[in-house]
Amino acid sequence: MTPHRFLLGKPWIWSFAATVIVWIITVLFTGGASSFGLSQAALTFAAFSVIVGIGQMFVITLGPGNIDLSVPATMTLSGTLALKLMDVQDGMILVGLLASIGIGLIVGLGNYVLIKLLRIPPIIATLSMSFIIQSVAIWSNRGLRIKPPEMLANFTTSDLFGIPNVALVAFLLSVLAWVLLEKSIYGRWISAIGQSMFAARMASIPVDGTRLVTYMLCAVLAALCGYLLASFSGGAALNMGSEYLLLSIAVVVIGGTAVAGGNSNIPGIWGASLFLFLVVSMLNTYGFGAGFRLILTGLIIIVVILLAGGRQSFR
Amino acid sequence: MDIRTMLAASVAVACLCSPTLADTSSKKIALSNNYAGNSWRQAMLTSWDTITKEAVSKGVVAAADPFTTAENQATEQAAQIQNMILQGYDAIVVNAASPTALNGAIKEACDAGITVVSFDGIVTEPCAWRIAVDFKRMGESQLEYLATKLPNGGNLLEIRGLAGVSVDDEIHAGIQAGVEKNPQFKIVGSVNGDWAQDVAQRAVAGILPSLPDIAAVVTQGGDGYGAAQAFAAAKRPTPTIVMGNREDELLWWKEQKDKDGYETMSVSIAPGVSTLAFWVAQQILDGKDVKKDLVVPFLRIDQDNLEENLKNTQKGGVANVEYSLEDAQKVIAAAQ
Repeated sequence: MTPHRFLLGKPWIWSFAATVIVWIITVLFTGGASSFGLSQAALTFAAFSVIVGIGQMFVITLGPGNIDLSVPATMTLSGTLALKLMDVQDGMILVGLLASIGIGLIVGLGNYVLIKLLRIPPIIATLSMSFIIQSVAIWSNRGLRIKPPEMLANFTTSDLFGIPNVALVAFLLSVLAWVLLEKSIYGRWISAIGQSMFAARMASIPVDGTRLVTYMLCAVLAALCGYLLASFSGGAALNMGSEYLLLSIAVVVIGGTAVAGGNSNIPGIWGASLFLFLVVSMLNTYGFGAGFRLILTGLIIIVVILLAGGRQSFR
Repeated sequence: MDIRTMLAASVAVACLCSPTLADTSSKKIALSNNYAGNSWRQAMLTSWDTITKEAVSKGVVAAADPFTTAENQATEQAAQIQNMILQGYDAIVVNAASPTALNGAIKEACDAGITVVSFDGIVTEPCAWRIAVDFKRMGESQLEYLATKLPNGGNLLEIRGLAGVSVDDEIHAGIQAGVEKNPQFKIVGSVNGDWAQDVAQRAVAGILPSLPDIAAVVTQGGDGYGAAQAFAAAKRPTPTIVMGNREDELLWWKEQKDKDGYETMSVSIAPGVSTLAFWVAQQILDGKDVKKDLVVPFLRIDQDNLEENLKNTQKGGVANVEYSLEDAQKVIAAAQ
């Protein structure tokens, strides 16, 4: 296989190519002076999309109709409750983290109970779940902003050798997810279920158990992201997750994961997350108005998906 | 719901002996609200609750029930208003999801003899009353402040609200008018912060590396703290950031003020405007002659009254003013 064919065979290559182009165009505006600052900002904010994106990717891999719309509400609830629990004390950081993970586990379990026992389609089940979670978040704190513990806030906003800590956390999670997906039996199972649930059952794969774990994994990652984001931005807000609903799905799709399921892709999520942040930065930098900016963002995304989708005809 | 209304009505009847008895003691008012997912809206609902509970217990009105739609969509709110018509409310106070999309439902309510008062998110239907904020003025006032504070001018970063919402256009128009009057200022960058501090932080962090030195940041409220965070993260000097009355913004301002005498201003509309709308509706039901268009003053905080306002602001909330019947009468009189 020539390097050329090798690269074209990787669906994530397009999102990275687009990222590099957009980065160069943006940096050109200042003649290169902004390259370090822009890269750091892009890595920081991409990290949050990557964390929720990985969870969403696992769910989407389960096959047509599988999607988790409760991601934003889970982020909000996790950020709100964890910060309330920690109450600015450094000693409580671990307790807050565990509480976040606990919230994720409960939400994921709730989602799958609705899907399985009540036979509600995932899109409706997770949407109704998100109303419940959002209401709990409103009820628990009525939108009051509590500051994160000093140590945690410092951790999330600082960097190691120029690489933001949150990006390192996201990278670590990506590696774990990659191992889970590519090297573990669980990864084989979700791909098999995504390709054909019927065949998976025939092959005696524990379909329900696998799907339950996947929904829980997605919710835990969303909760973790909420915990980090709330600490990063100096407190939780009731609408802090709203941006991440479409973002979590978009990074998965642009990254080259098959929407129909059964085929997932982790490097692509990084490419897509960086790309989506940089596109907005580029259009802001060049001073386009909001309307034009949205149209261009849409067009650029379509082009990238078309290019990424075009590869399938080579095979 | 019905039982609650009946209970409230019986309380009102029990209070008939009270001396504050008004002609509206048998009237029922409903609040139709399109969104509750941020601290401003939460404060708005809390204010409504505080003021109307007292009014109901004193027998001023029979009921004042708040309803919030789940999805922030005009269709859903239109259906909600239609339900209110069927439930027999005498007045509907509405914070609308859209200035035009609810007009049909509002017209139906008017035709059914119901008084409709819109506030914050106002409606264009002529039969409804409007309690509007002069958002354009709010934008201009930021530039006026900056012109006195930074007479030499400088580069501005503008953080706008949610694209496509009329409030965003109006504040932006005010800021532009202000820049035209004070040409020593130049807007070198503009981002949409959606009135949410995490969105603002993300957007500002993305554009900041490409910007020259920034003298001041003009905002629309709810985005100042996020902007401050983004400047700090990029290790750039903090410019004069106009704040939007949120407690986190005021607290940050206070910290900077104590540290190095940081100066700025803060302006937004008080969530308690819902209570003003309540009293206006009550006055209309009472048979008072009220102009269809009323203007509510915005709430401005300056360097010298920062501490006082911060003290009165709920932790994590928004600087607020709750309006009384007298305040409403003043606003009504001012419009005559």
